[in-house]
Amino acid sequence: MTEMKSSRRSFLKGGLTAGAAAAAAAVSGRAMAEGDPAITEVQDWNRYLGDGVDARPYGHPSQYESHVVRQDVPWLTADPISSVNFTPLHELDGIITPNGLCFERHHAGIADIDPAQHRLMINGLVETPLVFTMGDLMRFPRENHVYFLECAANSGMEWRGAQLNGCQYTHGMVHCVMYTGVRLKHLLREAGVKESAKWLLAEGADASAMTRSLPLEKGLEDCLVAWKMNGEALRPEQGYPLRLVLPGWEGNMWVKWLRRIEVGDKPWHQREETSKYTDLLANGKARRFTWVMDVKSVITSPSPQAPITHGKGRAVLTGLAWSGNGAISRVDVSLDGGRNWTTARLDGPSFSKALHRFYHEFDWDGSELFLQSRAIDEKGFVQPTKNELRAARGENSIYHNNGIQTWHVAKDGAVENVEIS
Amino acid sequence: MSRFLEVVVAAATLLAIPAAAHAQDATAGEKVFAKCKACHMVGDSARNRIGPHLNELFGRTAGTIEGFNYSKAMKEAGASGLVWDEETLGHFLANPRASVKGTRMAFPGLKDEGDVSDLTAYLKRFSKQADTAPAEEASAPVVEPEARAEGKAPTPEEKTAIVRPIPTHGVLHLGRPATEQEITAWDIDVRPDGLGLPEGSGTVMEGEPLYTERCASCHGDFGEAIGRWPVLAGGFDTLTRERPVKTIGSYWPYLSTVYDYIRRAMPFGDARSLTDDEVYALTAYVLYLNDVVTDQEFELSKENFTSIELPNEDGFVVDDRLSEPHYAEAADPCMRNCKPGKAKITMHAAVLDVTPEDGNEDEASGGSID
Repeated sequence: MTEMKSSRRSFLKGGLTAGAAAAAAAVSGRAMAEGDPAITEVQDWNRYLGDGVDARPYGHPSQYESHVVRQDVPWLTADPISSVNFTPLHELDGIITPNGLCFERHHAGIADIDPAQHRLMINGLVETPLVFTMGDLMRFPRENHVYFLECAANSGMEWRGAQLNGCQYTHGMVHCVMYTGVRLKHLLREAGVKESAKWLLAEGADASAMTRSLPLEKGLEDCLVAWKMNGEALRPEQGYPLRLVLPGWEGNMWVKWLRRIEVGDKPWHQREETSKYTDLLANGKARRFTWVMDVKSVITSPSPQAPITHGKGRAVLTGLAWSGNGAISRVDVSLDGGRNWTTARLDGPSFSKALHRFYHEFDWDGSELFLQSRAIDEKGFVQPTKNELRAARGENSIYHNNGIQTWHVAKDGAVENVEIS
Repeated sequence: MSRFLEVVVAAATLLAIPAAAHAQDATAGEKVFAKCKACHMVGDSARNRIGPHLNELFGRTAGTIEGFNYSKAMKEAGASGLVWDEETLGHFLANPRASVKGTRMAFPGLKDEGDVSDLTAYLKRFSKQADTAPAEEASAPVVEPEARAEGKAPTPEEKTAIVRPIPTHGVLHLGRPATEQEITAWDIDVRPDGLGLPEGSGTVMEGEPLYTERCASCHGDFGEAIGRWPVLAGGFDTLTRERPVKTIGSYWPYLSTVYDYIRRAMPFGDARSLTDDEVYALTAYVLYLNDVVTDQEFELSKENFTSIELPNEDGFVVDDRLSEPHYAEAADPCMRNCKPGKAKITMHAAVLDVTPEDGNEDEASGGSID
């Protein structure tokens, strides 16, 4: 335990959890003779009545899950109004992110929009510029799709080396929900796109009036204009009442509080596609219009916020994989820092451009581990190492860091974000 | 008659009318149907001929009778949600080829609105779903009740009052045309070629006090920025350094982006509060802070805007990630003995505790998200 005390708070948390586990082990030792009080004593919840059906008209998680929340990192940005928080990936399982835990990134706070006053306009190179109410949109044929949304800057803090201690912070700008909405192509057809059209501009109704250019082909291919996530209305922080969905493409383009689609013949070169969301290379040139999110994965447990607390023996390793190119076909995991790999078990539904869940069960002998995961997508793209990315791009790209993550598991089960030889 | 009673009578009249009106229309519609008989059948012995049979047409999704060889256009219209009802059928019958572009139906359409409504009334006889009057008829605009109350046939004007105007745009006719004023109110984006710039102008001298008042509290007096707010000026020749400073002068490719962004989103927390001339003046001042213009008298206007080039316009390249070796030379990844020796830690997480209490502000040098 001395090693744990010498480190800082995230380790302490791990230490406390390990302590609790030790206490439980002591109890189970006594239980051999007298029995486990969790069984032999009548518990309060077994004796007294709980809340009625009128107590929680909108349900919330158990009080024992209150630590499962989004976290922000105040020093990352100038102001929490234009900032980001992170999905607690280490606490989640399966492929669907609960609505209240989807990471937030907005540029002028959460717009509070009355849906009765919300309008979607389509203008520019169209036969008939149109205005839709929310009611109008719901009369179009609807579709349901599960997609991941990843911020282009996810893992952006890690370009120069291991920085933040937890997959919530290194990889938590991703979420995956089921959207309900209408295909953008139906709305465009209603307005009648002119022959000369090549680009679209999507605009939000918030105080940043967020704008991004996207090629018309993507708009006609698979973009949705969505108003539900996981069956219920979009959360305000996710764009209520309406957002754009661009499967497989960087999150900034999924304009929230969507109020306008303009049709044009050239890109607009807006702030978020010139000053931001361009990838500066070592030679001083910057890539622009880097839309697709590359193949990527991360082990969510064990991870710095989810250390091994049970000691030697059977252990479950799990994580997430995704690709903007389509479905994930395979995930390999390594326990020895990339020397040897084993193909992990993919479990749960496999949707194109959605999160995939993988597991690897193993017997831990209590020695130190270097955990890595490596995803391969249906197009055959293999997740690169961080050093391969640095060799190709330098360390100032900020965006599109999909390099292989390493977690060091110490003999006591504590986990740390490291870079290795 | 009180206002309340008028409405009640009107509603009652409307509910009572449709059956009689349709009966009459349907008889006339049978005659109109003579124009369709060459291709379409209705009734007990109806089958598909050159056109699909029209039994149970109301409520049917377009292009869905099994075994009939529809045009691609009609099948797509159905897949997009086109369901035949009074409104959609009326629109289609008035001009089939405009309504569903690419339909095989050669019939040019019924020019007379009365014929359309008579024909739909006739076709309803062969659709069970159309037996009950659609709810929208009850909520249609209220018409003068007197004439109806006395059992007179509705005049042509009254008939059009009941029928909603048929929208002509698109496929499903949803939404409504935007007005010029509405488009002007929202469409404020500006492109590098100057498209979207409003009339107006502003000088560096006019921009300076505005900047001090509205911008300097975050961006600093000289664009150097306070705290982590964006740096606006300087940073020239830093893009290849370890810590590049990406400013309007050193990084941004186009001046139009400056105008567009100030106009739509600045000042932070008071967007859209600047006049177009003020935005010109502030844009001119930011150029001055970056030494792109050096004359305090310089006036930026719609007319000279596109003559200004920013230093890093040529600093951008297309997305060529796929040409990187790790993607371009992708082979089957190694599974056994992929690296020599045991793994050794070369770097620990710089920030073990990401919560702010213990003075982590200094660790911000590690990277950023934006």
